[in-house]
Amino acid sequence: MRCLLVVASLLLGNAWPVLAAEVTVHLDDGRGHAVSDAVVMLIPDAAPAAAAAPPAPATHVVDQRDETFVPYVQLLRPGDEVVFRNSDSTRHHVYSFAAIRTFEFVLRPGESSPALVMDKSGIAAVGCNIHDHMITYLFVSAVPAIALSGGDGNATIGHLAPGRYTAHVWHPQLHPGHPQPSQSVTIGGDADIGHLDFTLSLMPDPRMFMDREHLDY
Amino acid sequence: MRTMGFRLRLALFFVATLVTVQLLTAGLVYEVTRRALVTEGERQLTANAQAFVAQMDDISARIGGNVEVLSLDYALRSAIAERDRGTVLSVLRNHGRRVGASRMLLIGLDGTVEADTAATSSTPQRFPFPDLIDDAYDRRTAAVVALDGKASWMVVVPIYAPQPVGLVVVNVPLDDVLLAHMQRLSALPRDIELATQSAPGRWDVVARGDRHTGLVDSLASAHRGLPWKPLLTEVDGKEYMVLAQRLKQPKQGAPVVAVLGYSLDDALSPFRSIAIAWATLLALGLGVGLLGAWFTARSVSRPVEALAAAVRRIGAGDYRTPAGTRRHDEIGQLAGAFDAMTEAVRQRELRIRHQAMHDSVTDLPNRLAAEASIDESLGGQAGGGALLMVGLTRAPEIIKTMGHALCDRLMRDASERIRRVAMDAFLARTSDTQFMLWLPRAGQDAAIAAGLRVLDALNEPYQETDVSIDRLPSVGIAMAPADGRQADTLLRHAEVAQFAAAGSASALSFYDAATDPHRPERLSLMGDLREALDRDGLLLHYQPKFDLASQRTDGAEALLRWNHPRRGWVAPDTFVGMAEETGNIHRVSRWVLASALAQVQRWIERGLALHIAVNLSTRDLEDAELPAWIAALLSIHRVPASCLTVEVTERAVIGEPDTAIRILRGLAEQGIGIAIDDFGVGQATFAYLRHLPVSELKIDQMFVRHLATDANDRIIVRSIVELSHQLGYRVTAEGVEDQGALDYLAAVGCDHAQGFFIARPMPAEAFATFVGGQAGQAAGGSRR
Repeated sequence: MRCLLVVASLLLGNAWPVLAAEVTVHLDDGRGHAVSDAVVMLIPDAAPAAAAAPPAPATHVVDQRDETFVPYVQLLRPGDEVVFRNSDSTRHHVYSFAAIRTFEFVLRPGESSPALVMDKSGIAAVGCNIHDHMITYLFVSAVPAIALSGGDGNATIGHLAPGRYTAHVWHPQLHPGHPQPSQSVTIGGDADIGHLDFTLSLMPDPRMFMDREHLDY
Repeated sequence: MRTMGFRLRLALFFVATLVTVQLLTAGLVYEVTRRALVTEGERQLTANAQAFVAQMDDISARIGGNVEVLSLDYALRSAIAERDRGTVLSVLRNHGRRVGASRMLLIGLDGTVEADTAATSSTPQRFPFPDLIDDAYDRRTAAVVALDGKASWMVVVPIYAPQPVGLVVVNVPLDDVLLAHMQRLSALPRDIELATQSAPGRWDVVARGDRHTGLVDSLASAHRGLPWKPLLTEVDGKEYMVLAQRLKQPKQGAPVVAVLGYSLDDALSPFRSIAIAWATLLALGLGVGLLGAWFTARSVSRPVEALAAAVRRIGAGDYRTPAGTRRHDEIGQLAGAFDAMTEAVRQRELRIRHQAMHDSVTDLPNRLAAEASIDESLGGQAGGGALLMVGLTRAPEIIKTMGHALCDRLMRDASERIRRVAMDAFLARTSDTQFMLWLPRAGQDAAIAAGLRVLDALNEPYQETDVSIDRLPSVGIAMAPADGRQADTLLRHAEVAQFAAAGSASALSFYDAATDPHRPERLSLMGDLREALDRDGLLLHYQPKFDLASQRTDGAEALLRWNHPRRGWVAPDTFVGMAEETGNIHRVSRWVLASALAQVQRWIERGLALHIAVNLSTRDLEDAELPAWIAALLSIHRVPASCLTVEVTERAVIGEPDTAIRILRGLAEQGIGIAIDDFGVGQATFAYLRHLPVSELKIDQMFVRHLATDANDRIIVRSIVELSHQLGYRVTAEGVEDQGALDYLAAVGCDHAQGFFIARPMPAEAFATFVGGQAGQAAGGSRR
């Protein structure tokens, strides 16, 4: 995943003018644990400047290893493709009832799904009908300033133009029905470095449970 | 019953103790049990409350599990994800029936009700308990909600597809049916009620267990609130432990509590059968105890009563062995001690009775025993019998001389000898000197034969080392019923006869009522005599002694006369003999001596030179002080000793020779004359008289009375006179009744004559006149 991020940042870096200003967002769960796989978006309050040309569509691979989708959260740009690959020795029944795209495949071991084009912005929760604890999210967003927090709970968004932004955070384990956490941040100059801290109230990680029927919530 | 008996008291004590202990135990057990039950009730209530909560959680888990299985259904997921309301509702209804839910809802992630199996309108509503939804993602969420007076258990389960897409709410009615079901499946108390708070302080029951106790209503009225800790209270008159348990509930709902009751009465009910068993046991034990106590007490009191009866018998003189001696316990020991005591008492009584009825020296029956035996013998048949009184008259003398010990041995010897000859007669010792033989049905011949045998046996002298003693036995016989019908009479008469025999030659005589000097009146006569002595009731008559040589009266014999106030003149022989026997003779003799000497003094003072003769009794010669006393008397009255002559009988000097001779010598030495009275009829001989200081002999009137006609008497009298004169004795003839005798006496040279022919005894004054008159006659020699 880190490798993919690096690839993404390289791609971004190549796409935008080099700006030194950046915002580092740190996320924790209120109990001192860093929160990874949180999506951080900085949306300027002012009308965005001229929209940069969307980058070329990319194909993302969501692997299935050890009855786990890897990664947990996959950022996509509208129009990007995603391929589900089964690296396990069992079948997986990959499905999604997401509003942006409904699909289902039964993947034999070693099999990969055909590439799915995710052309709508939104979030698609993808599960395995055979293994309840398998879940992954396809976060499809056109927001340019977007980043995924790493294992240290930090997400860094660079190349920001000065201005006021609102930082939005999404995470799969945020309570449904609760408002999304957000904060305002102002970038004063080109080299300004902003810091934001988010404390997220998260539900338990659904991937941790082997069998939800026997869980004790 | 006179007082409460030992038995009853013991039994009552046992029973009272038993009952008290049992009642105390019962009270203790009840109290301990009750406390234990209260503690147990608290524990159970708490446990039950927790169990109830746990059961509700189990229901939640069951429902939750069911819903989760439901949520895993791909078709439902897809229906929910695709918001296919119709499919969702049908699935929910179908599933609601499976889990026993009355209502199923599907809630969207935003809190709106998307599907409701109980919905009447299709207008979307918000779910009224958002906190339940919030919690549902984190933990199993269930709560009791009260709606429209009904309580229900609401379980909220999120649906994942695969991310949360909605929540299913399962509504299980919490009603009487569910409670009954739970009660059947678990140890939930039958007294349970669910109540909801409709207003502050006001609780409405929404469901109750199968027993409609009315816990909440009662608590509300009695305590104005619900007890959050176990509380002991009364519900409908029964004791209950009550505990209220809050149930999980949403923030917005009305509070719902479960009120659990623990009936102490119910808890005590198993003990009721124990109590009944205990009461039965107590009654049985009481009965058995009473019976046992009664028997035990009886086993103690029976022997005690028997002992008491035995002791009463002993007290009454019955010495039979008391009952219960076979026992080996304390009672047995007591009975044994009583037996020993009884035996000792019986032995002592036998000894005392023996001593009372027997003579200690000879071991013969005593007079009391003899009387009883004779009376018994006489009472039995009319055959009568003979009573022999054997007297050893010398016994007092033997005691004085040889001492009691020898006399006792002598008496024992005598008793042995009598016993040998008495055959089957009843032998007793009636006094110190007398034995008694009772011959039942014996006649006079048999009595004489027995008497002679006894005399023969006793006439043999008693022999002991250096001692040989004559016992001088005499036997008096009284015949029954002729001489008396009672023992004491017979004894007295036999004794009289024995006294008579002691003085007679044959030493054996029968009782003769005519000559019995010991008639009862004599005792009163003696009393009168003593009184007469004290009051000078006696008087002396004087019989002149005629001096034959000078033919004049020169002396007198003082003769005692008693003019009894009622009986008139009492014969001297009667009362003198009696006085001798009763020991009064000393006083009588002294009175006579004193009176006579006083009279002589008066005569001397009147110029009459007379000498006086006074009779002394045999007993007087036992009085060693007599000579001195007479000497004093003579000097008092200034009468010369030569004027006094004492007269004693032959028997007196022979019977008591030593003492008598000593006294007579004492008198003679003073110059007092000693005359032997009634000489000639007794055993006195001149040879014997030679040892005595005799100065005068008085010839018995037997020889004098017929002197004028009887030649033999003349020879005897003349011989006595001549012999006496030759031995130096003066001679007086008594009983001169005619001139011839007087003349003969004068002729043979007799010194004095005395008799009716000369003069009868006369009072002192008459005597003085007689002497004065005779003085003239004498000069004229008228008598001749």
